[in-house]
This record gives sequence, C-alpha cells and structure tokens, in this order.
Amino acid sequence: MSLWVDKYRPTSLGKLDYHKEQASQLKNMVQCGDFPHLLVYGPSGAGKKTRIMCLLRELYGAGVEKLRIEHQTITAPSKKKIEINTIASNYHLEVNPSDAGNSDRVIIQELIKTVAQSQQIQSSTQREFKVVLLTEVDRLTKDAQHALRRTMEKYMSTCRLILCCNSTSKVIGPIRSRCLAIRVPLPSSEEVCSVLSTVCKKEGLLLPAELAKRISEKSGRNLRKALLMCEACRVQQYPFSADQDIPETDWEVYLRETANAIVSQQSPQRLLEVRGRLYELLTHCIPAEIIMKGLVTELLGNCDGQLKAEVTHMAAHYEHRLQLGSKAIYHLEAFTARFMALYKRFMEDGLDAMMF
Amino acid sequence: MDEYDEMFRTEDDYDQQFADELEVLAEMEFDTAPPTKRSEFRKQKDDSFQKADRPFKSQSQAEPVRSLGQSEVMSEMCDREDLEQLMADEPITPQAKRSRQDVAKKLFHVSQDGDITPPSSPEEFHQLPSNRAQPVLAALDLSGFADIQESPRRVTSKKCCALKRPPPEGGYISVTDQRGNRVYLRETDDLRGKAVDPSALRSSHNALGLLAVPIEVLREQMEERRHRQVVEESQRLTEILNSQVDEVFGELDDGIREEEDDKEKGESSRLWVDQFSPRHYTELLSDDFTNRCLLKWLKLWDEVVFGRERKPRPPPAERPIPSKNSANQGQGRFNSFSQGQGRFSSANRSQGNFNQANQKFKTKSQITEEILEADLDQYKRPKYKVALLSGPPGLGKTTLAHIIAKHAGYNVVEINASDDRSAELFQKRIDTATQMKSVLGANEKPNCLIIDEIDGAPAAAINILLATLNRKDGHGADSGAESGAELLKKKKKKKESVLLRPIICICNDLYVPALRPLRQQAFLLNFPQTQPARLAQRLAEISRAQGMKADTGTLMALCEKTDNDIRSCINTLQFLHGRGQRQLDVRSVQSMKIGLKDQNKGLFHLWQEIFQLPRIKRKRVGEELEEGLKEGGGAQRLQHILHLASSSGEYDKLTQGLYDNFLLMRVKDPSLGGVCEALDWLGFSDSLSQTMLQGQNFSLMRYLPFPPVAFHFLFAHTHVPRINYPSSQYEALTKTAASRNSLAAMLSDVPACIRTRISEISLSLDILSLLLDIICPKLRPVNPQLFSAREKQQLSDLINTMISYNLSYRQDRTVDGQYVYVLEPRVEAVVCYPGLPPRRQLTYQAKQTISREMEQERLRRADTLMLLRNQHREEQPKVVTSSVKAVTSSVKNHQQRLENILRNTVVEIRPEVDFFGRVVARKEKPRMLSATGELCVEDAMGTAVGNSDVWFRFNEGVSNAVRRNVYIRELL
Repeated sequence: MSLWVDKYRPTSLGKLDYHKEQASQLKNMVQCGDFPHLLVYGPSGAGKKTRIMCLLRELYGAGVEKLRIEHQTITAPSKKKIEINTIASNYHLEVNPSDAGNSDRVIIQELIKTVAQSQQIQSSTQREFKVVLLTEVDRLTKDAQHALRRTMEKYMSTCRLILCCNSTSKVIGPIRSRCLAIRVPLPSSEEVCSVLSTVCKKEGLLLPAELAKRISEKSGRNLRKALLMCEACRVQQYPFSADQDIPETDWEVYLRETANAIVSQQSPQRLLEVRGRLYELLTHCIPAEIIMKGLVTELLGNCDGQLKAEVTHMAAHYEHRLQLGSKAIYHLEAFTARFMALYKRFMEDGLDAMMF
Repeated sequence: MDEYDEMFRTEDDYDQQFADELEVLAEMEFDTAPPTKRSEFRKQKDDSFQKADRPFKSQSQAEPVRSLGQSEVMSEMCDREDLEQLMADEPITPQAKRSRQDVAKKLFHVSQDGDITPPSSPEEFHQLPSNRAQPVLAALDLSGFADIQESPRRVTSKKCCALKRPPPEGGYISVTDQRGNRVYLRETDDLRGKAVDPSALRSSHNALGLLAVPIEVLREQMEERRHRQVVEESQRLTEILNSQVDEVFGELDDGIREEEDDKEKGESSRLWVDQFSPRHYTELLSDDFTNRCLLKWLKLWDEVVFGRERKPRPPPAERPIPSKNSANQGQGRFNSFSQGQGRFSSANRSQGNFNQANQKFKTKSQITEEILEADLDQYKRPKYKVALLSGPPGLGKTTLAHIIAKHAGYNVVEINASDDRSAELFQKRIDTATQMKSVLGANEKPNCLIIDEIDGAPAAAINILLATLNRKDGHGADSGAESGAELLKKKKKKKESVLLRPIICICNDLYVPALRPLRQQAFLLNFPQTQPARLAQRLAEISRAQGMKADTGTLMALCEKTDNDIRSCINTLQFLHGRGQRQLDVRSVQSMKIGLKDQNKGLFHLWQEIFQLPRIKRKRVGEELEEGLKEGGGAQRLQHILHLASSSGEYDKLTQGLYDNFLLMRVKDPSLGGVCEALDWLGFSDSLSQTMLQGQNFSLMRYLPFPPVAFHFLFAHTHVPRINYPSSQYEALTKTAASRNSLAAMLSDVPACIRTRISEISLSLDILSLLLDIICPKLRPVNPQLFSAREKQQLSDLINTMISYNLSYRQDRTVDGQYVYVLEPRVEAVVCYPGLPPRRQLTYQAKQTISREMEQERLRRADTLMLLRNQHREEQPKVVTSSVKAVTSSVKNHQQRLENILRNTVVEIRPEVDFFGRVVARKEKPRMLSATGELCVEDAMGTAVGNSDVWFRFNEGVSNAVRRNVYIRELL
C-alpha cells in the first residue's frame, strides 16, 4: 500500500474529495439500509470503484474491507471448466465476468445464482442481502447481458447488483432500465490539483501549483494517472520544479508518433509502416477503441475546420464497423487509409489553390 | 437437321461443315430411307388390319393406354387417329385404304416441324378446335413447353402467306378456321432470324460484362434451346406414336423394339460412366505404364495364388495395343519416368529393399523391372504385398484396379469408404477376403481385395492391414517349401495365416498421416494425368454413341475444364444430354457451371492468381477461348477468381493473405483510392464473418468469395507477385497472448485490497508504465546502512510498492555469462515499444540491494504474520536459517541433550542367564561397591554435567557446541 494512489484512497463516503453532493446522495440512499441495483459508469480514473467501496463500507461497516481472492471453477453445461478469480468479503462478491471471454454467460448464471440463492443466516445483525459487484459490464457479451436480466429481478430479495462500466452504450436497454444509473464524471482540473497537493502535503512534499496543473492536463483529469504521474515526478526529481518533464505512458507517446507518421506522408509504404505500429499497440493490450480515439485526437490537431468534421465522421463510421467486426486491425487501417486519402487530397487542393 | 443425325447415330465434322447441303440431302433422303424399316411390316399389317372396322381398332388402342394412366399419351393417340383420318380425307370415306407408310411419314413430317396441333378431321370439325387442341396443350404443359410451342406460330401467323396445300419442303403450319377451311402457313427461316434480330443488335460494348457469356449469346442459346425442345418434344411424341402403332400391329417387330427399349432404359437409368466404363484392359484410358506396372505386380502373385510357375516376363499379349496409344507414348514415357524416380526415392527412404541406389540413371523400364522382378519371399509372394494407387479423383484408379484384377483372373472384393471401417470389422473383412473363397456360384476364383479410398480410413484400420501384411506363419519354413496350391488348402486351418492374396489400395492423397506406415510397405503407383487427347477421343466415341454432336475442340475444352477427370467429363456430357442438348460447342462448355471440380489448389496459387493478370494463353487450333477472353475479359476473370475463391473454402486465411500482401503490390494509385476500397472490402468481410459466427447464419458465406475478386480487379498486375505467407495476424495473436499472460501473472498474486482497484486494462493503460518509472528511483550506490533517513524511507516505500504489486528482481544469467537482475513477472515487455527511448534502468548494484532488502522485508512480514497468528500461544521459535535449530525454550538445550544421553547409557539391569536360560546368581562384589556410596561413573557424570551451566562434549561438531535461540527479527 505504498503507491500514493493506494495509500491515500478515501475509504468512506464522507472523505471523498470531489463530487461531494453525489457522495451525500449515495449516503442518503443507503441510510435506510437498502438500495436498488446500481449501474455506476464513467470514464476510467474518475473514482467509480472508490465510490462503490465507500458505499459498501457505509452499508456493511469495516468488515467489507477484509478481502480475499477466491479461485472458482465453474463447469459449463458443455462440461467445459471455466476458471475465474473473484474477490470477496463476507458481504459482497466482486467478479469480472469478461475475464471468462465468451463463456461469461455461464459465469453470470452460475455465480450469481449461487450467491443469491444462499440466504443470510442471521438477518438481524447483517443485511438480508449480499452485493454482487460486476466490473467491466460493457465488455459482456449480449448473451451474458440477457442472462443477467432475469437474474436481477428474480433474486432481488437476497442480492443487489452493482454494475460498473465505462460506457452504458454497450449495456443493453433492459439492464439499464433495471438499474439506478450513477454517473461518476471525471474530476475537474482544479479538483485534481487539489487532490494532488493534499497528497503531497501528506507526504511532506511541496508541489508547485503549475506542476499540479500540468500534471492534471497531461493526465486528462484521470485521477489515478495524475497521482501516478505525480509520484513518478517525485521519483525523478525531488525538489519539484514547475517545468520538469512529466513521465507519460509509453503507448500514448507511441500513438502520437504514429499519428505524426500518418500526417507526414501518405503512401502505401507508409500505410504498411503504420500497420506495423498499430499491430504493436494492439499486441500491448491497448483496446482498439482507445487506439482509434487517440488516433483521431492526434490527427484532428493537424486538420482544418472543415476537414475536422469529415475526419470525425469517418472515425465514427469506422469505429462502428470496428464494433461489428472482430479484426480490429482492418478497421483501424481502413480509417488510416481513408484519412491519408482525404488528407492528401486536401493538401493537393491547398497546393493548387496556392499556385493559382 | 440434328434430329437426323441423332436418329442414325452418325455424326462427324463433315456434318457440321456441310450442314446446309446435308440438310437438303437429308430432306430428300427422308422419304425413302428411315421409315422403310417400319413401313415394311406395317404394310403387311395394313392388309390384315385395315379392313377391320375402325371403332374396334380405336378401342383396342385406347385400352392399354388407359391402363398406363397416361392421359398425355391418350390425347396424343387421339391426335394420331385424327391424323390418320386427315390423311384419309382425300377419299373422304373414313374406311378408305391408305398405305400406312404414308401415315407414318406424315406423322414424322408434321411432328418434326414442331407443330403438333392436330388438323381437324372433316367429319367432326365442330368439336375439334375446342376439344382436341386442349389435351395437346395440356400434354405439352406437363413437360413445360406450352408457351414455347406457341411462339413460332405467333410469328408465322403474322407474315406468312397462306397456302392451300402443304409446301413441298420446309416447315409449315396448318391452320383451320371455323368453317373448316384449311390453309398452310409456310415457316421461313428469315422470319425467325428477324425475331432474333433485335437482341443481336444490342451491342456488347455498353454491357457491364458481369455475365460469363454475353446476353446476346444467352438469348441466342435460349432461342435455340426452345427450338430444340419443341423439336424434341415432337420427336418424343412421334416415338410414342410409333410405339403405339407397334404395339397394335403385333409382335413381328419385337426384336427391334426390345432392343430400342433396352437402349432407352439404359439411357435413362444408367450412368454413362458405368455404361462406357472400360470392360477390357485394352480399353483403359489411364497411362499405359501404370497399367502395365500394376498388372505385372498382380502377376507376381500368380505363383502363390494359382500355383503357376512364374514366367520370366509377362506375356506380350497383355501389353496394350501400341498402335492405339502411339501418339501418347512420348508424353507417357516422360510421366512414368518421373514417377519411377519418385518411386525410387521412396524405396530408398524406406528400407532400401531394392538395391537401386547405384542405378539412379536407369531407364524407367529397367527400374520397373527391378521392382517387379525382385525376388519373391519365402511364401513366394512379391516383396510388396500391397499396391497403393494414388492420384486425383476421376482418373480411373478404381476402374483400373477392377479390370486388372479381373484380367488376372481374380474375383474382386472391394471395401470402400461406404463400408464400416472400424478396426474389428476391417479385420474381419480382410480375413474374409483373403482367406475365404466362394465355393458356390460361378466365380470360383481367388479373391483380390481392393481397398478403395483408404486415405479416409482410420489409422487403426490401416494398422490392422499392416499387421495382416507382416503376419508370419508359424511354419514358415515348410509352408514355404510347399507349393502355392497346397498352401491354399492349408491356410484355412489356421486363423493366423499369412497373407496370400493380393491387396490393392487406392487413395487420393498419398501423404495422409495415417498412410505413412503403409507407404513404406506398399508398391506405390502414382497416377499421372490422363492424356487429354485420349480422353477427348473417348468422349467423342461416347457422344457419338449417344447421338451428341461435339467436335474435338469442344471436348478438349471440356477436358481442360475438368482437369482431365474422366468421370467428370462423362457425367457432364450425360448431364447435357439429359437436358436435351444434342450439340456441344466451345462456348457452352466454357460457360458451363457444371463439370467444374472443387479444385483444391494451394493458397499460394490462389493468391498468385488474384494478384496476377491472366497471361495470354497460347492459342489452340479450333478453340475460341482466346476470343472469349478478349471479349468478356472482365467477366471471365471475375468468374474465374470467384470460382477459385469459393472452391478453396479457406476464406479466413485467404483474406488474411490478401491483407498482408496487397500493400506490397505495385499499386498505381497515388490517391490511395484503391487501398481505401480494398480495406473497406476487408472490413466488410470481417463484419460478415463476425455476423456469421455470432448468429450462426452461414447463408452469408456465399458473399465471402467476393473480396478476393475485388482485390483482383484492384491490384492485379502482369508482374509475378511475390507472396508472403500471412503470419502477421498469428504473430499479433501470440504476442497479445504473451502480454496478457504476463499481466495475468502479475495480477494473480497482488493482494486483494489492491487487486480490486486494478484490472488488466487499467494496468496496461495507466498504471504499469508509470509504475515502472516509480520503482526506479535514484539510489546512492552505497551500502543501505549508510542511507539517510529519507533515503531509507524511500527505499522502504519502493520495496513496499514492489511487494504489493507482486514485482521482484530475479537474478538471471545472460547467454554471455553476465548476471543481471530481471523484473519478474516480465511486464516490462508489455509497456515497452520499439523505437521509443529505453526506460531508465537501475544499476546492477541497486537492483541487488533492492532484491536483498525485499527478501528481508518478506521474511520480516512472514515473521510478523506468524507472530500475529500465534500470539495466544507460547512463543515458538521458527525455523528460518539452516544454522539455527528449533529448540524449545522451556527445557534447556544441554539438559535435553543430556537426558537423551543418560537415557541411552542407563544400564539396564537384567537378570543374567546362563547358556541354558537359568538365572545366574551374580557375584556380590560390584554391587557391594556401589552400595558403599560412590555412584557409578556414568551416573555421576550425568548429574554433574546437568548441574553446571556450561557443558562441553567432545567430538560432536562445532556448530552444535553452544546453542542459543535466535529470532528472525533479531537478525534483520
């Protein structure tokens, strides 16, 4: 527990640093000891999990922080054995069903059923329900999501679900409608800065305000990233200086270079190089959507106003196809090629206009 | 006039070239030649029957037909009657005598002109137009030609001038008005030509060219086909009529009719492939050399099977007639030579059974002699007990095996893929076939086992076959001495007898893994391609026999199309024949969809085809292929690629190969339009296959071969492309799996409180990269003892972090002998990208320090954990290092030790017994001594040592000399 991210993570709803209003609402909600199914969503690094754990602590007390990892083996109807790790306390169970890949439906069905079907023995001292926390719900297959629908209603008396995901767009409507949706937005830049300075103060360090600002910008207000960056800065050079360079994640650097390569030359050969780089990103476990998004963000910086709209439209189109297909590289490359063609035409037009 | 040719089964090129003249000739001939056969007997009948009154006759005719239940025929019969009446209408009286010959002729004539509308008879013309026309139409409808038949009439009725009499030559149509006036409308050729004209005018220039055959040609063909159908239908009707006539007119012509019936039945029920399959050795189409080899091999068995002495060489009579195949000898020689080479190498590889190693450059005949003249084994069997024929389908392997076996005097027993080939059954069947003999019935010949399609048999079955081959007879020596005929009798007694019958195995793929052991023990014969010329010749014979018109060029094209697959060629011919096509031309063969095999050409070949423009094929005489390519090149190419792609079936791999290679092609589009389009196609195929797999909707599969076609049109070039095997996807997959594995390894041992906060994605996106920065602080290269408080704090933080994220340094040795510390699990690779500046690394010394400190911290943690757990109990020492031993603190070390010693040394007082077991009374003296008060030496020593604080024992090892309890926390 020595990373700042872990060390200074708030553990109760009252201690949360930002979105305090939401925190108090959550507190009110669990005041009576019960709550509906929740769907917590928001970008990564906004503090969804922190909030959920605070909520659980509010509900069950400190016992919820005594966690253990369990390896469970579930046998699918097809006799296939699926192994999955769950993190459980006495009061709740956390599972990431998408770890099981295509068999996530079985996980959902079996695991939740076993949890939900076991009644609490002593309901006077404990809550009469357990909580199942499902993470990365947006990566569930449609099958699994459909399996979830009925389970949610059927075992309402013994089990509450908290679903955690980045975006609700991939969660099917029926599930969304069964849950109370809670959006955890990213903290504002100021909030990030204040958190950073608080942490540094606790560490006995002095953080210049400019550096905090720069870190929060560079991290894209992702608080986890900001804290890690801050700590990396500290490791790099202690007496902080306002203009010291902030370590970045490698993949972002790599993506930026890729975007630059696309802009600097448009030819099949270059496309081939870019393909290699895209493959490299994909093999480093960077999700294709994030690559696409990063690429568009980087490329848009090089585009004119009118072109921007076109490129964004294209990106949306190919992102959609990306979701439909399974081979991300085709779609990423198709977007790249399309952009190259567009950009090249744009540049040539511009050149012509300049000449005449 | 095709129908003539068909009728007389005469057809050759001459016919085609001089079609016009022949037409006229045939027209003239018509009246005399064909019906004479029939007319003679009919004339005889005429005399006897014509005088009988009509009603009776019609009655007797109608009855059998009704019993057949063919209303169609019924109506036709009525027509026939009408016709007869019509013919008789000049002398108006219905009973008027008329020569049957004329009637028949008239019938022929009418029906051949494609008009079957019955002319009304004068006496019942009121009913006829309504009554008679309908059944005919209905009858035609059954065969689906109703409207087709109409069209020529409509055309003609427009423009023809009406004739009062039937025109002497050419087609005509009779029309009767309500009053019964009959006129004849002449059918002229130019009219029909005009009807087709507009379609011919349509130029092919603006067509998209997506069809394999231009639309005009298709139309033409349609017209032709219609015409032919009508003609055929009429012919059929005529035949039926004739048969009816025959039926009525008695048994005289039985012989002829039966023959015809037979032929008809044969045509309808039998496949031509069977019908025309070779019956004799000389009729075989396959390569002579192969045939001869197999026959020779089979003859080697003669001695053991038939008890015949082996002749020095096979009799010359068994050789195929050379004159027939002289044209192909040269080619055949080449093929068989290469085949012989292959055989040689495999023999060399297997066991070197034959000493051919030094005869590499012998001619093929010599090599074959070597193989076939090799000594028989002790049972007088050939060296190779099994012949293994291999080759692509449709070359006549099975036929060859059957014919040769029959030729050599065997009774053929066949096992093929349609039989159950599980191990037990296979065993049973082999035993039955090789050891039994039919005693009843005509075929009292020894069996020859033919195992067809052995490449599909399970490995167990093949092992059984091998076991059968290698079976050793217990009485090998004496049975070897016996003659083969005696053996025959003898072998029945024993269950496990040696194999004494030839076995011929047939397979398509010689290199199926299951066949590997068999390959080494078998006489391998590879089937070369059939000579197209020979095949075409046979096809020509067949088509001539069946009355199809096809020239050599067409048949050659067919051969080429089917890759010289005999079966496929003949089946195609029959199919066309069955559909009523009597004339084959090159174009129709080219555009045909049938007869195409699912060629399984290699993927590389496929990619090559896609990325390369077709080369101009060398022109063959009498072939219009060239023209076709120029004319509808695009369409041809589209069809070609489409067919290739769909026959390969490996769409995934195919698409992947296209993806990996298309950017390497010489793409000439500066605007990248083609590339974009290609990638869109790829995206399309991806989403297609995804939809297919998710929804199990495999009807979408048919769209998968289109992306290759698109690629062909986008990127095909005349250059020979350099194709690389598509490995990128697989590489990416393995790499991804590797990085996922290392992430999972890292996550697996992270404590739960941290594990809940991090997932694989957040790890790879946010945490890991920065974490690796964080665990590389600047450490002073000094002993950690000399660190300042702040530095110590930093170090302990670092170690905490590493432990909680399950990272550690492990000493490793590089290939060049250097020791390095590597981060374990190897997550560095997950965040490290090529081309980026390498991450700052700690020095070896710093890593060593960290590693050591971490080790200590771990121990410390484990210790505290233990203490926490055992708090309630008495403190118990832990076994930590090898030098410190666990000792309970309650009892002093040395005391414990001493007690042991004392226990061991305490003298046991046992009553002494003498040799016989009697107790011996001891002498009193020593006891007296002890009783005096001085303790015995050992007792005294024990207590003395036990009472002192320090003790020493000689010769017991240094480390054990002084002992003290030490705790880990004191060491660290």
